Amino acid sequence: MTRSWRERRIHVDWTRCDGHGLCAVLFPEVIGSDEWGFPVIDGRPLSPDEIVHARRAIASCPALALRLETRSVKQPARST
Amino acid sequence: MTTTAATVPNPIGIPPEPDTWSIGPPRLLAAGYDAMRPYDRVAPRLLNRDQLIRDTTTVGLLGRGGAAFPVAAKLRAMPRRRAATVVVNGSESEPASYKDRILMRHSPHLVLDGALVVAHALRARRVLVAVNDEPAAAALHHAVGHRSDARTVRIAGTGGRFAGGEARAVLRALGGGPAIAPGRRVLPSVRGYRGTPTFLSNVETFAQIGLLATLGPRAFADTGIADEPGTTVLTVTGAVGRPGVVEVPHGTPLSVLLCEVGAAPGAAILLGGYHGSWWTGDPAVPLSRPILAAAGATLGAGVVCVLGPETCPLAELAHVTGYLADESAGQCGPCMFGLPTLAHDLQRAVGGHRSAASDLRRRLTLVPGRGACAHPDGTARFVESGMRAFVADIERHRTVGGCGRPMRGHLTVSPTWQEVAR
Repeated sequence: MTRSWRERRIHVDWTRCDGHGLCAVLFPEVIGSDEWGFPVIDGRPLSPDEIVHARRAIASCPALALRLETRSVKQPARST
Repeated sequence: MTTTAATVPNPIGIPPEPDTWSIGPPRLLAAGYDAMRPYDRVAPRLLNRDQLIRDTTTVGLLGRGGAAFPVAAKLRAMPRRRAATVVVNGSESEPASYKDRILMRHSPHLVLDGALVVAHALRARRVLVAVNDEPAAAALHHAVGHRSDARTVRIAGTGGRFAGGEARAVLRALGGGPAIAPGRRVLPSVRGYRGTPTFLSNVETFAQIGLLATLGPRAFADTGIADEPGTTVLTVTGAVGRPGVVEVPHGTPLSVLLCEVGAAPGAAILLGGYHGSWWTGDPAVPLSRPILAAAGATLGAGVVCVLGPETCPLAELAHVTGYLADESAGQCGPCMFGLPTLAHDLQRAVGGHRSAASDLRRRLTLVPGRGACAHPDGTARFVESGMRAFVADIERHRTVGGCGRPMRGHLTVSPTWQEVAR
């Protein structure tokens, strides 16, 4: 028996990002910014509650540099 | 132990080339300087897809462009039902590397053999060779003209600088775009040259495949070690008596190579070029990609740089980092702004600035994984390992303001061999 679920993360297209910084303002829990103004995103998958904030940050990017990336993860159930 | 390649006058009439030799019998370099002779060898033994996957698995063949990805896995990832393209990446954009140019100039038939073996196995309709070197392009054109099985081969010039040699940047340049990596990471096996599934690898990888098809896996494994049979072609530069391109059996101890090229005792060794790392472990470590990977190091594209004890390592580090910053394609912010900052911090460390090392450590966390290609990651690895290898020098610069040694330029940033071998 395997368990499977979807992990979602924010992905930055670095060729598009110009460091406007709106995402870091809108979603500071996950997106910080570096000394040059570019987003620093902690790599952990987003929790269901965070998805709505993530979508807002993504939609606000003037350079359309952000995407929600979904990855399916499969893990065998632990034996008891 | 050493066999020197035939010293027939260089037929292409180009500026000084690296000395080329081998430890043990030469294989890829055995073709010697016969590029301009009529092609009198038998055509390579063609294999089907499953046979090629089986043989490359048997000998554990790894890609020679830098990432050391298993060739068999790359072949397996190619879809069966779509028209595929085979791309030989001969852009060789690392300034300290020369082995791919040597292979294309002097063993073009072997490189073509490998490309055609892969094309046959994958039923690819197109074979492209991306070259950034005129003598290599001339040798390949000549070789293609002398064989009847190479009608699908096209030799294409690519411009581009350091970051332009990355696989997806090369594919983009071949498709008529700029030689910079696209923002979305899509595997070439899914969407490569003009949207077709593409098998792309380094020149030496194809030469090894050509050899494997000709010899078969058993004879291929006559040399090398069980972990990694066969040979590899290295470019050795820096403070050595005999810089050049050397073919070595896998498993050759690093110390044997260093003795062979006449490196000074106490020299610092950079493995894997300017995206590689400084080796401070066992001086007799076997030169083999899996063994080095287990030790956290890489052979990269086969570049070994030797830094003599008479030059200031920090200044050399700062110089190369400045060059790498200039080579950024400038399309991703953390690379465009981060790399010049790293170079500047290293210059501050040379000047003995108090906070330089801590600034560097902090900023090194802000560079890797934050670009379309691996240029920021590779540069950060180079700087970070340099800071570990030269920690005593950093301290000395910080406390007494310097080490009294000038910057001698042992680490070249020029792609011409005259400058490299200075």
